[in-house]
Amino acid sequence: MANVLHSAVGLPGSDRPQSPIALLLKRLWRESAVRTGAVIVGLVLLAAFSAPLASALLGHGPMQQFEDTALDEMGLPIGPTPEFPLGADGNGRDVFVRTLYGAQISLIVGIPATTIAMIIGTGIGLVSGFFAGRTDRIISQGIDVALSFPFVVTALSLLALNRGGTGQPIVPPVVVVIAVIALFSWAYFARLVRGLVLELRNNAMVEASRTIGASWARIIWFDILPNILPTVLVYWAVQLPANIVAEATLSFLGVGIQAPMPSWGNMIAEAQRTSLYQDQPWFLVGPGLALFLTVVGFNSLSAGLRNVLDPHRRRT
Amino acid sequence: MSVFSVHDLRVRFGGIEAVRGVSFGVEARKTLAIVGESGSGKSASLLGAAGLLPGSAVVQGSVLHQGQEILGLPDRELRRIRGAEIGFVFQDPLSNLHPLKTIGEQIGEAISVHQRVSRREKRERVLALLDDVGIIDPQARLADYPRHLSGGMRQRVMIAIAIALDPALIIADEPTTALDVTVQASILDLLKRLQDEHGTALIFVSHDLAVVSDIADDVVVMRDGLVVEKAPATDIYDRPRQDYTRELLGAARLGGPKAYAHGKVREASRPLLDVHAVARSFGARSVLDDVSFTIGQGEILGLVGESGSGKSTIGRLIAGLDRPDAGRISLQGREYSQPGPGSILQGDLRRSIQVVFQDPYASLNPRRRIEAILSDPFVIHGTVDKVKLRETVEQLVTEVELPTDILDRLPSQLSGGQRQRVAIARAIALRPALIVADEPVSALDITTQAKIITLLARLRDKLGVSFLFISHDLGVVGELCDRLIVLEKGEIVESGRTRQVFEQPRHAYTRRLLASIPGRERLPAAARFEDVKYG
Repeated sequence: MANVLHSAVGLPGSDRPQSPIALLLKRLWRESAVRTGAVIVGLVLLAAFSAPLASALLGHGPMQQFEDTALDEMGLPIGPTPEFPLGADGNGRDVFVRTLYGAQISLIVGIPATTIAMIIGTGIGLVSGFFAGRTDRIISQGIDVALSFPFVVTALSLLALNRGGTGQPIVPPVVVVIAVIALFSWAYFARLVRGLVLELRNNAMVEASRTIGASWARIIWFDILPNILPTVLVYWAVQLPANIVAEATLSFLGVGIQAPMPSWGNMIAEAQRTSLYQDQPWFLVGPGLALFLTVVGFNSLSAGLRNVLDPHRRRT
Repeated sequence: MSVFSVHDLRVRFGGIEAVRGVSFGVEARKTLAIVGESGSGKSASLLGAAGLLPGSAVVQGSVLHQGQEILGLPDRELRRIRGAEIGFVFQDPLSNLHPLKTIGEQIGEAISVHQRVSRREKRERVLALLDDVGIIDPQARLADYPRHLSGGMRQRVMIAIAIALDPALIIADEPTTALDVTVQASILDLLKRLQDEHGTALIFVSHDLAVVSDIADDVVVMRDGLVVEKAPATDIYDRPRQDYTRELLGAARLGGPKAYAHGKVREASRPLLDVHAVARSFGARSVLDDVSFTIGQGEILGLVGESGSGKSTIGRLIAGLDRPDAGRISLQGREYSQPGPGSILQGDLRRSIQVVFQDPYASLNPRRRIEAILSDPFVIHGTVDKVKLRETVEQLVTEVELPTDILDRLPSQLSGGQRQRVAIARAIALRPALIVADEPVSALDITTQAKIITLLARLRDKLGVSFLFISHDLGVVGELCDRLIVLEKGEIVESGRTRQVFEQPRHAYTRRLLASIPGRERLPAAARFEDVKYG
C-alpha cells in the first residue's frame, strides 16, 4: 500500500541516500554465517539446476542403467572414474547424476512444503494471537494436539492409505510427501506467529491505529504482518532443512519418493540395504554428504539471517 | 590531582566521529556534571574512556585514572579497575540487573569478583551496603529479585553495587531519568550523602541542567561530540558564556515552571468531557477509585502523578482503549464508556478522541513511510483521491511545523522530536475534540520538549482542541496546562488552576511533588533567562 501510494503520486527530486533493501543486503553480507550459508545454498541450487546439464554431458540419465560399463565382472558397482565421477550404484546407475537430481527432489519437496506450512501457520497464528480469549484457547489446544502426533508413524499410515486397488499410488507420491510434511510443520509457525502477535497487539503502534478507527483487517495487514514477517521468513529458513531431512527420512523408509526416481533418502536406503557401500563408498557418501551440506548451508544461512534481522539480537 | 581525567578523547564508530576531542577531569569529593542532548557524545565519551564500548569503536586520546594511563590497557587489567575503583550507575536499572538473581547475590558478586571474602563477611557487607543506600529492612530484601522492587529501589541496588568496594569514582549515566520526581530527588540526595561520607568523586551525566544543578560542582556542556563550555557550576548557572548553554538553561525548568499558562477561562457551562465516578482494577489490585473530573472546550488539563498512580489508565479509558469497572465517561453529553462488553468508541465519537503516546519510537509503524502513516486516518474515513490525499497530508505536516520532504522517510530516519510531531499530526488529522497526550515529551531531550510544548499550545489556540496532558513532570505541566489534577494511588487528591496548585498546594502529596522539582537552589539566577512564554 505504502509503495503503491508513493509511486502513484510520484515525487520529483526525492533522493534517498540508499534504499533500505540495499542497506539490508549490505548488512547481511557483513555477517559471516550469511556468507558461508549463501555459498553452500548457492552450490546446492547450482547442483539442482545443473542436473540435466550434467546428465547430458555425461550421457547418463538419472534412471538409466549401464550394466556393461558401470558394473565389474562380479556385478559389483565400479568406483569413481572419469566417466562416472562418483562411481555407480548396484543397478549400474551414475551416482553423481542421481545425487544432482536428488538435490532437485529435496528442493521440490522441501520448499513448497515449508512455504505451505508457513502460510497456513501464519494465518492460524494471526487469528489465534489477535483474537485472544476463547478462539485463542481452542486454536492453541489444536496446535498442541497437532504437535503431539508422532511424525514418522502418522506419515507412514497416511502414505499407506495412498494405495489404489492395483497397488499404484492414487495421488503422485511427491504431492503426498509435500502435504504430509506441511501438515507436520505448520504448527511451529502458528506457535511462533501467535507469540509475536500477542506481543504486538497491545503495542502503542496498534493502539494508535485503533484510535484512528482502523479495522482489524487493516491493523493485521499494515501493522502486524510487515513487522512479524522478517522473523517468520527467518523461521522458514530454519524449518526448510528440517523438512528436507523429513523428506529424506520418508524416502529412506520407502514411503516417500519411490525408486527408481532418485532422492537422497532412497539412495542412502539402497546403499545401506545392499551393503554395497562397503565396496563402493561413494554410493553412500554422495547422497549423504549432499544432504549434510544442504542442511549445514540452510542452517548457517538462517542463523546469520536471524542475527541480522532479529531486533533482540541486534543491539551491539 | 584529578581522580579521573580525560584529555583530547576521540571516539569513532565506523565513519562517524561521536566524540571529537574532549577533555575534562574530576577531583575527589567533587561532582562533575556532563550535560548535553542525545547524540552529543556524553555517554560515548565516558563509556569509551572506561573501555566499555564494543571493539568496533575506535577510542583515542588519553585517560588518566589516579595518574595512570588506562586507555589501551588489556581487558584483564581494566576489569581490575572497573567495579573496584570505578563504580557505574546506569539509566535503566531493570536492564542492568540480572532478573534471575536475588539482589543479595548480585551485590555480593560485586564484592567477590574482586576480593576473597567469607560467606558470612559477604552477607554482612551486603546488608551494610543496602542499609547505606537507604533500603529499609535489608534482611527482608536480601532474597528479593529485581522484579519485586520499585524503580527507585532498583536504582538504589545499582548504587549499592557501584559503591560496594568503596571506589574513588562513581560514573552515573542519567541515573534518574527513568524515575519519578520524588524518587529522583531522593536518589540525588543519596548520591550526595554517599559522596560526603566516602569522599568519592562523581561524574554525573544528564540531558537536563536542572537535574544536576543541586549536585554539580563543575559542569561540562557537550554538543556534537565537542565541549561547548566547561566551568564551575555557579558560572554556568549565573554567567553562561555560550549561546548553547543559555539555550539549555532556557529549556531547563529550574525549580518549577518559568511561566504559568495564562489561557482564557475555559470552563464552559457544559464541559466537553465528563468523567464520572470511574473505577478500574486489574485483578485484585485497584488502580482507579471514584475518579471524576471534566475537561472544557479548548482546555488543557494536566494530570499529574507518579508511576503507578493510575494516570495512564485514565488516559486509556478516555481514549476508549479500555473499559472502566464502574462509572461512566461521556463526550459532549454522549456516554460512550461504561462497564460491560461491546466495542467502546464508534463512528464519529471515535474520530473525536485521539491519542499521542509517550514513546514515538513505539507508536509509529517502523515499516511504513510517514506519508502512509499520515494518510491512514483519511483513507480509513473515506478519502480515496490520491492527489487530494497528498495535498491533505502535506498540509498536515506543515501544521506540525515539519518540512514536507519527511513524508518519504521511514520513522527510523527521523529524530525523536520529529517523530513525536508526526504522532501529533496523526492525532490532529481527523480534527478531534479531545487529544489524550500520555507523557508526550518524557522521552525527548529537554530542548525538544520545549518546542513540542509550544506546538501543543499553538495547536490548541488554532484548532480549539482540548488536551488531557498526562505527565510526571510538574515543570512541563505548569507551563502548558490551564488546570491541574493530582493523582495519588488512583485517587484525585487535588485539583485547581495551575498557578493556584503551584503556589498554594493544599494536599501534602502535592507539596511533596513540588518540593521534588530539581533546581530550587538555582532559582533566582534562572529567573533572569525568562524569555520563553507558552500558552
